[in-house]
Amino acid sequence: MTGDLAFALRGVGSAVGGGFALRDVSFELPAGYVMGLIGANGAGKTTTIRCLLGMRGIETGEIELLGHRMPGPVALRQDVGVVFDRTYLVGDWRLAEVERTLRPFYDRWDGTRYRELLDEFGLDLRARVKDLSRGMAMKLMIAVALSHRARLLVLDEPTSGLDPVARSELVGIIGDFLLDEGHSVLFSTHITSDLDRIGDYVTLIHDGRVVRTGPKDEILAAYRVVRGGPDDLSGLVGVELIGVRRTSSGAEALVRTEEAGLLGSGVLVEAPTLEEIAVPAAVDAADTAAGTAAEPPARGERVNAVVRMTQLHLRTVAPYRTLGLWCSGC
Amino acid sequence: MFGLLTLILARNPDHVVPALAVLLAPLIAVHPFVVADKADLRTLYAVLPVPHRTVVLGSYAWAVAGFLGTVGAGAGLAALLARAEGVPLHGSDLVTLLGLSWVLFAVNIGVQFPLLIRFGYARISVLGTVLPLALVMVAVVRLHLSFPTLQHWLPLLCAAGPVVLAASAILAARLPGPRA
Repeated sequence: MTGDLAFALRGVGSAVGGGFALRDVSFELPAGYVMGLIGANGAGKTTTIRCLLGMRGIETGEIELLGHRMPGPVALRQDVGVVFDRTYLVGDWRLAEVERTLRPFYDRWDGTRYRELLDEFGLDLRARVKDLSRGMAMKLMIAVALSHRARLLVLDEPTSGLDPVARSELVGIIGDFLLDEGHSVLFSTHITSDLDRIGDYVTLIHDGRVVRTGPKDEILAAYRVVRGGPDDLSGLVGVELIGVRRTSSGAEALVRTEEAGLLGSGVLVEAPTLEEIAVPAAVDAADTAAGTAAEPPARGERVNAVVRMTQLHLRTVAPYRTLGLWCSGC
Repeated sequence: MFGLLTLILARNPDHVVPALAVLLAPLIAVHPFVVADKADLRTLYAVLPVPHRTVVLGSYAWAVAGFLGTVGAGAGLAALLARAEGVPLHGSDLVTLLGLSWVLFAVNIGVQFPLLIRFGYARISVLGTVLPLALVMVAVVRLHLSFPTLQHWLPLLCAAGPVVLAASAILAARLPGPRA
């Protein structure tokens, strides 16, 4: 067991029906950091989290959580705060009852902290769980998680359906939680901008497989976004364009940082956001799974990923439809 | 509840206690499973630092407590009814019916709970209700059970109740909950 890891998944596979919901999922988070688990709806984020928490069985691999190989002792749950995208508390409970009900289960429950947090979040102890808005319910779940002094906070799509103000507040709350260096956070989301502020590590999951995992800054530093006119990204030599998007007014693609210097002065080269990396990476993963990556565009040749994007469109664009991926011939 | 009202309206206080025990106690017993399905309590149980076995045993404890509470309330109601109607309570009949109620309850819970724990209320409620009744009916027909026969075997049957519940609880504690 590795003591300084918040958690680690090694070769985890989990079956659902006749197939696999997760395949060979491996990633780990050192204690004291935040990991963003990014993926489209249905990519396997929730299944991964449920496996991590021992709420779902695994067929292959092993999971380590806070120094214990799973399934670990029940007491391990004292150290883990869990926030799902919808509340798992009884709707008829008032917030005061939530505390009365949960307090006996936790050795380190801090009632004062719970009331302070509710007050800070603008939650009334007399309110019923079912009457809370989505944002308020999320804050309640976080208040519960923080009130039993969890060391690891696991949040599954906590910002899904929240307005920008509530999302910003949530990110601030997580930031406060991280003031303690022993605290760690696993944060699954399909809204990558949530992680721009607080993410230390990123794991991109697609179709039940880990596409990319590592420190966020390393992943961000490995790529550059290149933007230019409609024809500026054609006929480039020595540069592989990843996930080309073209519109009538221009074109945009991702390139590896070491190749960015070959682009010349006619195009704009910028640091990417996680979202700009996540979509092409998922596309590449689908490409690999389909076997079409066996013949990657050769370096030194004119590279145009548009045709490849067209082939992949039906398989991969749907989850990212809002991002407006362009493909020729569609 | 209709049957219960009918019995009460029949003004036979002897029947009130077993009627409550047979009709109301199972409803009370399955209530946690209904709430668990509605409020996703299985996720809460999985998050709380409480072993699955404790949750299972708690369900059985709740069911037995519900039965005893129902019997207690029924006894009080029967006494009030007898007083209001000016009729005596027939102790021996009452004990026999109560004993049979306990046996029925134990079989019902003993069969139903492992199914509820494994599959959840929403998926198994009909089968969970019908199966114990079917087993009892088959036993009555195949063994040619009559009221006097049951009275004869009642002490043994009543003693078997806790054994059935314990065996059921041991089995249920080994079962995984429904998959999320």
